[in-house]
Amino acid sequence: MRIGDLTRLSWDQVRRRKVVTALCAAGLSIGCAAIILALSIGESAQQYIETEMNSFFKMDEITVTANEGVSASGGQGGQASGGNPAVGDDSLDRGKLTDQKLAIMKNMKHVTAVAPFQQINYMEMSTTDNRKSYVEVIGTDLGMLEAFDKPFMNGGPSDLIGTIVLSYGATLGLADAEARDKLIEQLNRNPYDSTLVEQYEKMNRMPASLFQRQVQFLGYSNDGKVNQTSQLRVTGVLKKPKGVSENAVAYDKKAYVSLETAQMMKRELNMGRGGMADEASYNSVIVKVDSQENVEQVERQIKKLTLNTQTNLQQKERLAEQFSIIKAVALGGGVFILIIASISIVVAMTMSTYQRRRQIGIMKVLGANLAQIRNMFIFEAALLGLLGGLLGILFSYWIVWGINALIQSMSGGSQDAVIIFVPLMAIPVGMAFAILTGVISGIYPAVSASRTDALTAIRRD
Amino acid sequence: MLRVEGLSHAFRNGTETTTVLQHINFHVRQGEIVALLGSSGSGKSTLLNLMAGLMKPTEGDIYISDHNIVKMNENQLSEFRRKHIGFIFQAYELIANLTVRENVELPLVFQSVSPSIRKQKALSLLEQVGIPEKAELFPSQLSGGQQQRVSIARSLITEPSVIFADEPTGNLDTKTEEEILAILKRLNSMMKTTFVIVTHEREVAAQTQHIISLRDGYLITDRDPSDAMPLAGVTTG
Repeated sequence: MRIGDLTRLSWDQVRRRKVVTALCAAGLSIGCAAIILALSIGESAQQYIETEMNSFFKMDEITVTANEGVSASGGQGGQASGGNPAVGDDSLDRGKLTDQKLAIMKNMKHVTAVAPFQQINYMEMSTTDNRKSYVEVIGTDLGMLEAFDKPFMNGGPSDLIGTIVLSYGATLGLADAEARDKLIEQLNRNPYDSTLVEQYEKMNRMPASLFQRQVQFLGYSNDGKVNQTSQLRVTGVLKKPKGVSENAVAYDKKAYVSLETAQMMKRELNMGRGGMADEASYNSVIVKVDSQENVEQVERQIKKLTLNTQTNLQQKERLAEQFSIIKAVALGGGVFILIIASISIVVAMTMSTYQRRRQIGIMKVLGANLAQIRNMFIFEAALLGLLGGLLGILFSYWIVWGINALIQSMSGGSQDAVIIFVPLMAIPVGMAFAILTGVISGIYPAVSASRTDALTAIRRD
Repeated sequence: MLRVEGLSHAFRNGTETTTVLQHINFHVRQGEIVALLGSSGSGKSTLLNLMAGLMKPTEGDIYISDHNIVKMNENQLSEFRRKHIGFIFQAYELIANLTVRENVELPLVFQSVSPSIRKQKALSLLEQVGIPEKAELFPSQLSGGQQQRVSIARSLITEPSVIFADEPTGNLDTKTEEEILAILKRLNSMMKTTFVIVTHEREVAAQTQHIISLRDGYLITDRDPSDAMPLAGVTTG
């Protein structure tokens, strides 16, 4: 029998027997939608958390530090590793993070940027009009900021000592120290006063125009005295990072300075070297890789330079493992619904077989063999599966649309809310499950139909 | 062409056995129109079902074009029926959701014949039975006589060696009955296809060339056109 004829005859039955078709397709569509939804929610949640994680953990970056275990000299990292008398001076310096190693890393395949990022300290930043806020000061190569996904909103990096680049968050929440203290005091007295909380949040998010302005930092020296840096000019302000919530941005307050400026600030604040390596080497360098997939390979190469490395890949793996469990459970739920749906198909199709036994008898008398009758029913069941699958896809899109609308309304229209999407691969998976369930459920009715005795079927009492 | 040898059939109902056919022997030549005549309960329908391979006899052999269908399994029988046997039913047995043309084409669908050839053959046969304009209508839109014409066209589409017609005029008025018999005779002379018509009406049987009469499971008359005498070969088993 030709496929075209098989399709036409089966489709004709599917179209004709509306109640059976509706029953079967409804059951299958629910199962199919459940599978698509399970995959969609799992995938969307994983992607959302991965994006969030990426914005915090930077999955495509490797933090490289000096391998102090084999380093013998040079600044803070210069403590001997436990004294192997046989190791010479050159060998003892193998673990240092030098300019040469930086150059080698820059030339590695898949590496897009390399720059030292050395946290100096959290310090109080003060503007010329005495507005204050706490920021994290980081010493780096300012010219590399854009290569590390930190594009400029205003200005850009400067080679001059005494210049500074601020993150977008660092320009928020600068308030008059007296006003801030007063508000905090009021909040301490009335912690549940919503007006005060709102005022405080508003203050924390209030933007200030600091571009080309001068700022100063206050820091505590090792002997506990409060010192001030000289005035630093803001030559650039970074753009608000993508995919990060308003709240997170307000707390992401960073000030980037060149390594030379960092040294100067430390001298002015009387902080000593405070984690800074000697001029020829670095304590911490960040290597940016073109994609997460290549991080492991680049990390292996860096380790060959006798350096310590640290990535956040394990976070991703842990997350993927957890989500694979969640997805498997959800998928199991969908399959369970499909199994229940398949019972309705078996019942509906067996009924249909019984009602059509006369027609089956005629076909047998006209020359249809067992396999042809069986195939007609299985094809019909597959068509029901296809219909159920298509309906299921439609339902799942509606449900996802509904859930998203609900999330949006519950989150007050915030852009940071989780958006559930239907991943492309969920559609063929859902469809395959629906068709497969249809076919498997159709086997018993098909075999039963093919066994119909032609004579009994066409006999008229 | 069709040979029945020592055919007996009995139904078992619990411990009771009812014999419906007793040691039947006859022979039908290629291109004959044969009437299987008998009253209700004579065993004529059982004989037709046995000859069509829809039942297995208790005893005996049936040869169609020298193939013993009694020895065939179900799939071989399907294959054989598809190629060598045509059917005309008393109640037409057309598939309601297929058009007239599709109904006529149906036996060729099971032979995987291409749609264009099927269509061409079906339209030609509908023309021969006189209803070419009804090709795209559904069976429910036709009269009883027209539906039987469709059934005749369907039985002929595979160009079978033999066509079994079970009371083909049983549901029709006298005028339509005559028309249908005329069509059958015309097609028989044109195509040289053997027709075996089961009937309880002597008038219908009288229009055929060869009458085989049954009574209570016994063959009582086998009036072959070649026989000089009208009543011949009475077999009593």
